Amino acid sequence: MNKSKNFFGAGKNWRIKVLYILILLIFGFYGFRLFTLQIIDGEEYKAQADENRISNISVQTERGIIYDRNGIVLAKNAAAYNVMITPADLPGDEGATQEIFRQLSEVIGIPVSRGELTDEVVTTFSPCNTDLGIEQIVEIADTNAPYTPMEIKCDVDKEVAMLVESKSEEWPGVTIEVEPIREYPTGELTSEIIGFLGPIPESMEEYYTELGFVAGRDKVGYAGIEATMQDTLAGKNGLRVVEEDVAGKVIRDVEPPVEPEAGLNIKLTIDTRLQQAAKAALVGNIKWWNRWFNDVRFTNGVVIAMNPKTGEILALVSYPTYENNRMARYIPAYYYQQLSADPNRPLFNHAISAEHPPGSVYKIVTAIGALNEGVVTPYQSLVTPYSIFITEKYSQNDTGYQREFVDWKAGGHGQANFFKGLSQSVDVYFYKISGGYGDEVKEGLGPWRMSEYAKALGYGALTGIELPGEAEGLVPNPTWKRINLSEAWSTGDTYIAGMGQGYVLATPLQILVSYAIVANDGVYMKPTLIREIIDSDGNVVKEFTPTKVWDVTKDPLITVYDDNDLPTDEKKTIEPWVIDMTQQALRMTVTEGTAMTIFQGFEIPTSGKTGTAEYCDDIAQGKGLCDRGTWPAHAWYVGYGPSDDPEIVIIAFVYNGTEGSSVAAPIVREVFEAYFALKEIDEGKQ
Amino acid sequence: MRRNLWRNFDFYLFGAVVFMCIFGIIMIQSAIAGNAELLDSPRRQAIFVAGGIVLVIIMAAIDYHLWASLAKFIYAFAFVALFGIFVYGEARFGSARWIDTGLILIQPSEIVKILMIMVLAEHFDRTKDEKRDFRWIGRSFILTLGVVVWILLQPNLSTSIVIFVIWFAMLWVSGLPAKYLAILGVVALLLIAVMFPFLEDYQQARILNFIFPNPEASYGEEYNIQQSKIAIGSGGWFGEGYAQGTQVQLRFMKVRHTDFIFSVVGEEFGFVGTMAVIGLMAFIILRCLRIAQTASDNYGSLLAFGYAAMLFFQTAVNIGVNLNLVPVSGLPFPFLSYGGSSLISTIMGIGLVESVALRKKTIQ
Repeated sequence: MNKSKNFFGAGKNWRIKVLYILILLIFGFYGFRLFTLQIIDGEEYKAQADENRISNISVQTERGIIYDRNGIVLAKNAAAYNVMITPADLPGDEGATQEIFRQLSEVIGIPVSRGELTDEVVTTFSPCNTDLGIEQIVEIADTNAPYTPMEIKCDVDKEVAMLVESKSEEWPGVTIEVEPIREYPTGELTSEIIGFLGPIPESMEEYYTELGFVAGRDKVGYAGIEATMQDTLAGKNGLRVVEEDVAGKVIRDVEPPVEPEAGLNIKLTIDTRLQQAAKAALVGNIKWWNRWFNDVRFTNGVVIAMNPKTGEILALVSYPTYENNRMARYIPAYYYQQLSADPNRPLFNHAISAEHPPGSVYKIVTAIGALNEGVVTPYQSLVTPYSIFITEKYSQNDTGYQREFVDWKAGGHGQANFFKGLSQSVDVYFYKISGGYGDEVKEGLGPWRMSEYAKALGYGALTGIELPGEAEGLVPNPTWKRINLSEAWSTGDTYIAGMGQGYVLATPLQILVSYAIVANDGVYMKPTLIREIIDSDGNVVKEFTPTKVWDVTKDPLITVYDDNDLPTDEKKTIEPWVIDMTQQALRMTVTEGTAMTIFQGFEIPTSGKTGTAEYCDDIAQGKGLCDRGTWPAHAWYVGYGPSDDPEIVIIAFVYNGTEGSSVAAPIVREVFEAYFALKEIDEGKQ
Repeated sequence: MRRNLWRNFDFYLFGAVVFMCIFGIIMIQSAIAGNAELLDSPRRQAIFVAGGIVLVIIMAAIDYHLWASLAKFIYAFAFVALFGIFVYGEARFGSARWIDTGLILIQPSEIVKILMIMVLAEHFDRTKDEKRDFRWIGRSFILTLGVVVWILLQPNLSTSIVIFVIWFAMLWVSGLPAKYLAILGVVALLLIAVMFPFLEDYQQARILNFIFPNPEASYGEEYNIQQSKIAIGSGGWFGEGYAQGTQVQLRFMKVRHTDFIFSVVGEEFGFVGTMAVIGLMAFIILRCLRIAQTASDNYGSLLAFGYAAMLFFQTAVNIGVNLNLVPVSGLPFPFLSYGGSSLISTIMGIGLVESVALRKKTIQ
């Protein structure tokens, strides 16, 4: 019926069939792809979709506050306000952006344009710390991460922050970031105790991340109490698992949020007022002497004050130190370099980390040992001329040579018993009881027994104070010398060690502890800085409980050596009367001994010991001061009081301080004065 | 005769199309995901669908032979419209594709697809007795190019390709000899190689990115196809439920309501949903092909076949883009994707095909 030829008629429609086949093939293939995508790999894509939308938000917790024993705030949290620009949120119009920059510039005082962006400038660029203008900073931010806010000016005043905030409508892209920072109201006064915070170091990132901290945001303790009490102070970040849209806007909580747990507050044993007095005394004296010499002769020093009955550290001064508020936001490189390069090591805690020859303050070790071992009796008087000759030999059969050992006092001390020996610091007396002297002292204390008494008094071991970097000091013995110096112990080594010279090294804190043991009738209380731990609601989580380490008069600590200087299984205690005699002798230091002049007129009875420790370290050697006989010396003084019932023990140390009695003792006296004055004020209050 | 006319109306085809269009409106409602600028889209799409259905009836009622007699005018109209927009076109989205009528924006190139089906069907019908030589091919090609060149210059590569596909489908079904098919294949490849440097940067980037995916470009060119793949994949068997797909509702996917509406179906209705949509599209295409085969004359067959080919090509490319099997091309999913011009053009084609169906040869 149809005259026109139709391609779609019978026999010709194979060309259409090709299309049918194509449809079948392509839709079939799509069906297969969809099956793979949706059914076989469905779970995987579901997980990817969840990853897209679900975010874990760490809710920052608040770090605990650090107080002194009277509740004065030593470390607290404050807010720093940063002016930020998110390049992507700025208006697209160049003119409008320029206008925002111009107005912002007037508010924050950073020029719209300054500096040129060279490769070097861009690579060394660090936010918060740049001379570039707003335009340049924004350009850097725009190239790196246009959607991430970039710091334009950090730590602006609250008023500026509020002003910028109020302009948010007019200034799209300009925002204020509130950054929690640490503030140290007492700053440099307590920085050696409190320390400072820093970013989570890369090496510790895994550890802290596991604990829920966020690297790059959360900070951790780098020094001081901030470092040692990190776990207590830090608290726990909260966690929100939220659903976010593509713009990062939080839609809802997917799981019930975990609220952040605030860090615990810490009340230290420190009395800030005494700390201030101690620091003033130390720094004042050092400066006074340096002015006197017209030379920076005394370069660093330490004062520590502790309650011997409880081990509470009331003041701990390490000079020089640093201003920890300068590290509050970030650690400025130039400041850190300056501190690191300072030969007096302000970042180093001299009170607990510095190991020095203790000199004459170490004589209590020899004194207590000699009495307890019956080397001499307290009232036994020895001849104490200016110098004695002793045979220096390295072995039993060595013929040796005669070596002269001299006293600090020209002309000698005539005769001296135990009390005069200790209070006048009679060197020759101590030489004799350390190593023996002919028929007068048949057998000295000797290096083995001496080291036993040193250890019983806290030397050669960490005290466990809550500060990082404590040093162990060194209590030498013949085995130590053979292993470390490949040399036999000589007779002379014993005489020198008895004086706290030679190989003996101790930290100021260890020396303080040894005197606290004596003052506390032989009971070693662990020195501590932590008084109480308080939660954010003010409840005391951990009350102060003094920790007794040991009682030298009750706990057998002293290994008994046989006649061949070999240790036996037997152990003994220090007789209480020995401690008593030592206390009496130390009292005499102040009444008629080396500290008599300095403590003249001081009404409260105190006891103490001076120390002038010769040293020859790298610094002295560099200056060419290590001439035999005229070595430079550190000044030491340890005192406690009131003598009949000691409640405070104080140590002062001045590096290169020349003489303990004239340099260190006055510092201790000033601290005593401050302590008793404060006590009177506090009691008056009650 | 007149009384019996509507007896042959393909209600299955019409019903499937209406169903797809309504489903499209529903999916657009979900896909806008609270975007304030798009809030009006479902309503606008609904108006277009309603208008489109009226248009189907009107187009079906008009005897399709009218278009054959008007072929020259239609061609002239298409030429003028596209040339006009090329000269006076308003720049939108970096290319001039729209005519602002004051009331709505019209994209003439979309309408031209249907017009070209009419024009080419007439041409191939008129030349059906000619020798299948190079001249026969060349004339139809020039005819097509005369209009497409203005679309290419917009530049709108994908619509141009669609029209060339319509041309090629009709060429093929009109009896393109095998040897010319081979020659055409080679020429097409050469043309692609020569044309590539003249493509717009974004087009070059899309194609290169498809052939050599950059593993680091997570937020760049690859972002959206990656997100749509995640959306489809996370649908599973039955999907996350209507308006529950997180990829869509939290806007991780872009152009959700237009080019990537298939992914929205995939995420919210799962494998069942995607297969149903593909099945329904296959049904629509097959109904059109059936009409092509039962048409009373060659012109009618060519109209229906050309339209079926266009529908198939657009569907295949759009799903291919959503599945990351084809470079991003900007072709909407027929009936589902938001967009007035493309919807009107596609639905107008259904009217045209129904017109052919109404007048099919019947055993009387």
